[in-house]
Amino acid sequence: MHWLESAGHSILSASRTFGDTLLFSAKVALRLFQPRAYNKATRDVLVNQIYFTSVQILPVFLTASIAFASLLVGIVFQSLKDLGLTEYFGHVLMGLIVTELSPLFTVLLITLRSSSAINAEVAVMKSNRELKTLEMFHIDLVDYLVVPRIINGMLSLVLLSSLFSTVLMASGILFSGVIFDMSVDVYTNILLNSTSFSAIFIALVKCAVYGFFITLIPIRSGLRATRELTSIPITVSRGMVNVFSAILIIEVLSLLTKLL
Amino acid sequence: MEAFAKVHFGQAAPVSADLPLLSNQDVMMNISLIKEYHENWSKERTAAIVLSGLQRLGMSHIAYKRNPALTSEERFCAMLLRAAMIQSALIVIDRPFKILPHLQDAAFLFDACERISDLFSRCYIFDYRWMKDKYGAVCL
Repeated sequence: MHWLESAGHSILSASRTFGDTLLFSAKVALRLFQPRAYNKATRDVLVNQIYFTSVQILPVFLTASIAFASLLVGIVFQSLKDLGLTEYFGHVLMGLIVTELSPLFTVLLITLRSSSAINAEVAVMKSNRELKTLEMFHIDLVDYLVVPRIINGMLSLVLLSSLFSTVLMASGILFSGVIFDMSVDVYTNILLNSTSFSAIFIALVKCAVYGFFITLIPIRSGLRATRELTSIPITVSRGMVNVFSAILIIEVLSLLTKLL
Repeated sequence: MEAFAKVHFGQAAPVSADLPLLSNQDVMMNISLIKEYHENWSKERTAAIVLSGLQRLGMSHIAYKRNPALTSEERFCAMLLRAAMIQSALIVIDRPFKILPHLQDAAFLFDACERISDLFSRCYIFDYRWMKDKYGAVCL
């Protein structure tokens, strides 16, 4: 019976964490629409966060995008040609690569770089009693710490994913010319005909939802740190596992949305 | 400290080793935060008052330094000025020698408070009875 007890304990603990995260998400989502959450201090934090997440990363992100996009588009186009499915290349490029792989690539890169940093930053602040300082000076933690980071996460994901898609489509021009001997006009026409605006809309909403959760979960995890410094790596590793689980859940939900 | 903050809600301005400066922000941002958050002051307007306060404390050079790079005196001045940013501040300095452990007496403390006395309403210092000698005649 011991295994049953321990399985029950794990399930209860996981559902409690899941429930807590959802409640916290609802609280933060509501706060996003309250004007009192926005003042000069939170705007400063937002500008800094956008700089750290979206601007500082640009050289690395562009280099990785160009390398990954060229590789992906090259392989996919060559495979389509070999299989005799050239006429489907527009649908594959827009339906699979632009609306599915592009948000996934962006969210993985931002998670690795920014989510871990946010988690560690909040955990250090908690451990160092800096959050207590904010409370004593009547600075609301959700307004000052959470709201600007969440807005930044949502904005950055949408913008960087769009940038990645643009790089993808630009490298598509090169590879369609080399592999299919296609002119830019024909390539553009095929892309426009294969574009489903509802799919692009779902992809953008998915990016915003990714941005919300890959920022919220690390903050929530960081807030669970204790006064002991040893709790910092524990909260960071737990937070990152939860972030990857959230990415998987959002991916499945977006697939279900498309199927329904 | 917390009891004092409850009684004087919105006016209590603590200076304590238990309430450190935010380590991911420089001194300027730490101090500006109070006016920007509570009174929605612009960055430029707050910067002017912070720089003038630091200058009066003889600490203009610490404006863009972060907490770990500060000496004990510099850290104390930053915390004092941060507290003074609260409107009609009632500054409460909690066991100052925990922040300035190497000082022999409270002369530095009194001097710092005197230099920015127009920025706050009153200043209280709480410390252990056995530290009485360090404060000289002003001690109650």
